[in-house]
Amino acid sequence: MIPMRSDDILVAIHGLRVSFRVDRTTMFEAVKGIGFDIPVNSTVALVGESGSGKSVTALAILGLLPKENSTIGPGSRILYRDRNLLELSQGEMRKLRGCDISMIFQEPMSSLNPVFTVGFQITEVLTEHAGLTNRQARARAVELLREVGIPEPEAKIDAYPFQLSGGQQQRVMIAMAIACEPKLLIADEPTTALDVTIQKQILDLIADLQKRRRMSVLFITHDLAVVGEIADHVIVMRDGEIREQGPVHQIFEAPRDGYTQALLLCRPQLARRPKRLPVIDDFLNRAPAAAQDAPERSRGLRGDEQIVLEARHIGKSFWSREGLFGQREFKAVQDVSFKLAMGKTLGLVGESGSGKTTVGLTLMRLHDASSGEVLFDGKDLLSMSPREAMQYKRRIQIIFQNPYSSLNPRFTVGQILMEPMQIHRLGSGEQEHRDMAYAMLEKVGLPGASFFKYPHEFSGGQRQRIAIARCLTMKPDVLICDESVSALDVSVQAQVLNLLQDLQDELGMSYIFISHDLAVVKYMADQVMVMNEGKIVEIANSDEIYLRPQHPYTKKLLSSIPRGWRGPGGNGDRL
Amino acid sequence: MIQTATIDAGPGHTESPGLWVLAWRRFRHDSVGLVSLYVAAFFLALMAASAAGLIASDWGKEVGVSHAPPGFMGPGTTVTPTQRAAMSSASPEVSRGKERDDSGIVDPLADVLVQIRAKAPPGSVDTDVADPLADVLAEIRGQSGSAAAAEARAPTLIFGGDKWGRDVLKKTIKGTETSMSVGLAAAALAALLGTVFGALAGYYGRWVDDVFNWFYSVFTSIPYLLLILSIAAVLNQKGTMTVILILGLTGWTGIFRLIRAEYMKHKVREYVQAADAIGASNTRRMFVHILPNVSHVVLVQLSLHVVLFIKSEVVLSFLGFGVGVDTVSWGSMLNEAQSELLLGNWWQLAAATIAMAMLVTAFGLLTDALRDALDPKLK
Amino acid sequence: MLAYVLRRLWQIAPTLLGVVLLVFFLFNWVGGDPAYLLAGKISNPEQIENIRRQLGVDQPIYVQLWIFITQIATGDFGVSWATNEKVSEIFASRLGPSLTVLVPLLLVDTLLAIAAAMLVAYWRGSLTDRLVMIGCTVGQSISILVYIIAFQYVLAYQLGWFPVQGWSESFTENLFKFSLLPIIVGVLVSLAPDTRLYRSFFLDEINQEYVRTARAKGMSETRVMWVHVLRNASIPIITNVMIQLPGLLAGAFLIERFFSIPGIGREVLLAVERSDFPVIKAVTIYVAIATMIINLLADLMYKVVDPRVQLK
Repeated sequence: MIPMRSDDILVAIHGLRVSFRVDRTTMFEAVKGIGFDIPVNSTVALVGESGSGKSVTALAILGLLPKENSTIGPGSRILYRDRNLLELSQGEMRKLRGCDISMIFQEPMSSLNPVFTVGFQITEVLTEHAGLTNRQARARAVELLREVGIPEPEAKIDAYPFQLSGGQQQRVMIAMAIACEPKLLIADEPTTALDVTIQKQILDLIADLQKRRRMSVLFITHDLAVVGEIADHVIVMRDGEIREQGPVHQIFEAPRDGYTQALLLCRPQLARRPKRLPVIDDFLNRAPAAAQDAPERSRGLRGDEQIVLEARHIGKSFWSREGLFGQREFKAVQDVSFKLAMGKTLGLVGESGSGKTTVGLTLMRLHDASSGEVLFDGKDLLSMSPREAMQYKRRIQIIFQNPYSSLNPRFTVGQILMEPMQIHRLGSGEQEHRDMAYAMLEKVGLPGASFFKYPHEFSGGQRQRIAIARCLTMKPDVLICDESVSALDVSVQAQVLNLLQDLQDELGMSYIFISHDLAVVKYMADQVMVMNEGKIVEIANSDEIYLRPQHPYTKKLLSSIPRGWRGPGGNGDRL
Repeated sequence: MIQTATIDAGPGHTESPGLWVLAWRRFRHDSVGLVSLYVAAFFLALMAASAAGLIASDWGKEVGVSHAPPGFMGPGTTVTPTQRAAMSSASPEVSRGKERDDSGIVDPLADVLVQIRAKAPPGSVDTDVADPLADVLAEIRGQSGSAAAAEARAPTLIFGGDKWGRDVLKKTIKGTETSMSVGLAAAALAALLGTVFGALAGYYGRWVDDVFNWFYSVFTSIPYLLLILSIAAVLNQKGTMTVILILGLTGWTGIFRLIRAEYMKHKVREYVQAADAIGASNTRRMFVHILPNVSHVVLVQLSLHVVLFIKSEVVLSFLGFGVGVDTVSWGSMLNEAQSELLLGNWWQLAAATIAMAMLVTAFGLLTDALRDALDPKLK
Repeated sequence: MLAYVLRRLWQIAPTLLGVVLLVFFLFNWVGGDPAYLLAGKISNPEQIENIRRQLGVDQPIYVQLWIFITQIATGDFGVSWATNEKVSEIFASRLGPSLTVLVPLLLVDTLLAIAAAMLVAYWRGSLTDRLVMIGCTVGQSISILVYIIAFQYVLAYQLGWFPVQGWSESFTENLFKFSLLPIIVGVLVSLAPDTRLYRSFFLDEINQEYVRTARAKGMSETRVMWVHVLRNASIPIITNVMIQLPGLLAGAFLIERFFSIPGIGREVLLAVERSDFPVIKAVTIYVAIATMIINLLADLMYKVVDPRVQLK
């Protein structure tokens, strides 16, 4: 830790311990004795994956941990200037919240009160802390909305949260937080739930506000790329402990801790495409840092590959009621056509609402398409009767995004794996089903004992493996990965991506890889399709599309990707 | 993110906990829940024993003197005709039972006589209007009189006696059997209907949903008690089975609504889509995949409805539309208790109230504990 | 908005038809020929014949149904089989007393339940919370009959604080003298379940993220509960109150009967005892219609209370 002069420090944390009561007999220690400083007029990034304890730390600063089941260890100190926040009374703490120290959260939709207008929620802070009258507070609120970039603030001030977009809601949260000129703004994953293009805008806004008002910002995130763009100091946490902390250039150029190195290098990078992504174990076990020189994988279609699946003019509309008898059409997918080459991966990229997930579901006949054909093995899948389609069902499979809801919580892993075999009558009897299930578990790298366990006993990455194993039992030709790694931590993501690639190499499956994460898609896909508002905007080989994007939307998308730290002498993409 | 606990397994396997085992573990620590479970089990045992005829099967025998007080109070006085007449005129709507005298022989004209006598000017009791059947009855009584007189009538009973000297404690136990069997059977029926209807409506949606919703709207447009009373009025037939059918066939609406909402919620969950993707049929998805995920809701609702139906049955029996006259119910006991209170005889009221309160409270607390064990949230 | 109302009224029609069919099925089909039923209750054979003719018992079933429907449309249900009063008049005259008791009852119960639930939700998990909840559970387990009997006996009969029964012509005397004990008993009975229900509403809201935001802004716990949480919890609470409204019309059967309040509930009970079908049919239909209209009003009210609701 670089020592600093004491009047440079706004908040100093020493020996913070936080435990939670899980049930009557067990306590779980979320934060195991950490300490760091937040200097004035700077941005400190607190980085970690889920379960690292970063959010808990932030909530502890403001005293917002649920008092029913959380305990802060004795000997913990959180010093704001020279006052220990943990020793203040409720009343004194309340005066600081929203006024000296404020916080914004990850999900703006649920963090705003749905039944009050935006204006009400902002003026509330002003009347409470700054002692303004209602009229003064309202005027000030309009100014604040303008400052955070909300168009037509005089009108929007009377809007309800649900009437605003996700990005606008987050801006409102920021306006509420900075209303009383706080010295410290804590931002808990404020951009994680937003689209890439919006994310960039919010990041720029926060950085701008920080400079103009000379605030300190404690920025919590799991995304190192984001950190590289905005932070002055970086703290890396894992499992409730600090692994490494220091100025941003040191963390990015010369990380000393194995975990930090892993975080930096496990993510697929835009500049390179190694055959295998390094995983955390490579770094924690001090494997040689040969990642830099690993052999690369080349991707791209020549144009003469065999086509395994072809989609033609797929369209899907949703209807909602309007007026007395009318209906309104919402075109989720319009005129989407593409070809999937055998043994290759087609990437499908877009932001939320682009229709990419709908395309995947329509291919599987999980949604009924409004129009179009899907040619597989010479037949049109979409126009078959359900009975005919059953034979083809097992040959095209899908892995969903949310590992927590795609497995039936009441089935054991064994039951989950054996069910498809029972339905499609593969193999000859129970014993063979069991054997195949065990074989699949081994193939995806899970222990045989998993057979008897329930999904809730596994982590997110392990559950995705179970989902993959379930698909494999049917030996599909095509696998659709619908945001399959988006909900996973970076370190786990790398493992699952490696697994998927290994399986493709071994079994020759063709993939359709759907994601909003451009770096991951570039790594996995041979050909990339960009979608916006239901239409395909551009299709090209993946290297091409990143080097020479043609369509303005593609260009906008690519420019929004956080590039990581570009320090003096660095050339960006160092991430 | 949840900190998961992976069980370290060797080459052999260990059964790992599913929902019910986990819930049981949580439940075990809830002392209030455990106590209420024991109490409910006790009542269940009582009901079974009573139904099998092991205890209280002789509740109808008049073993005590009329209005025998409880043992811990000492013998009281019998009712004089004047007092009895005062009771009848004070609450004419209530005394539906036929007049009996101590020997237990029923005078079929008693009702009419009472009415006629009531119209007579107050103060003149038991005179003027002669009972034309008096001679015949006297003969009958004479024949069985010796038998009745031969049994000694106890001056006090454990928890007192009612107007005809029947043992209140035994009546209470028998009433437990009635109320619990009605409650459980009706709840089972309502839960079955509500779950099946809710599953079909929530899962298939569209016109299937419309049809079931139509039924739901029709049934819920009429306030519950009014609906039950209407049916009871029309059927004009008492009996335990009737009550069970009435309650069960009208009480499914609450469960229907909840299960329908659950099915609508689960239907779009990814594990159901995944089941669709691997080729599971609709029926399979509904009952093999989704049902285990909502069974805890059904269980809680079942428990709630047992309580609701026990209370409804008591009200129905009180009003005289419930179980037959030869079946004891806490409702009929409460009915009798009204006139007894005027004499200061509180024990039948107390017995029925306490028994009912214990049972319903136990089930109520049990329901709460079940809910918490099956779906723990930050309270 | 108008489109929404029209569409809802259009949807009410099938439900109303369903109720009519249900009532008809019950009373005309299952209930059948009233001669048997009434034999013991009405001694005049001519009267019974009259009734049978009015119902059209000897005619085919669809004619009976038509008779029934015209009755509903014109609001004329004939006369009570027992008292020969016009049913519509019975209904009109009994509505007043029912409302005199039930409206104050609903008001007092709602306000008390909200206050109790908020307090208990604020102290959730504490000993007070658990005790109050167990108290509510025990309170709910005692039959309403017992409350009525016991309170009537102790407070009115023994102590004489309230009249045992009765009703008068004057509204104020009814409200402040005769209604008091019934209202007290009624509130006691419904307070427990409503408190539990509202408590769960409050707890659901307290666990929401916007509460954390409000605290992060430095709002006091009082403000968080009374302004932020209450405003959101009021939505399901209002729903619950609206659901109870149709019950007001049906009357609190037992309370009216025990306290001899000449309301609709008591009338229904008498009718059921006397197998007085016209009265029961009329009350059922009236209340069903009222329920549907109140549901529609409740949905419209949603728009006022919850800005997210979009009526289409």
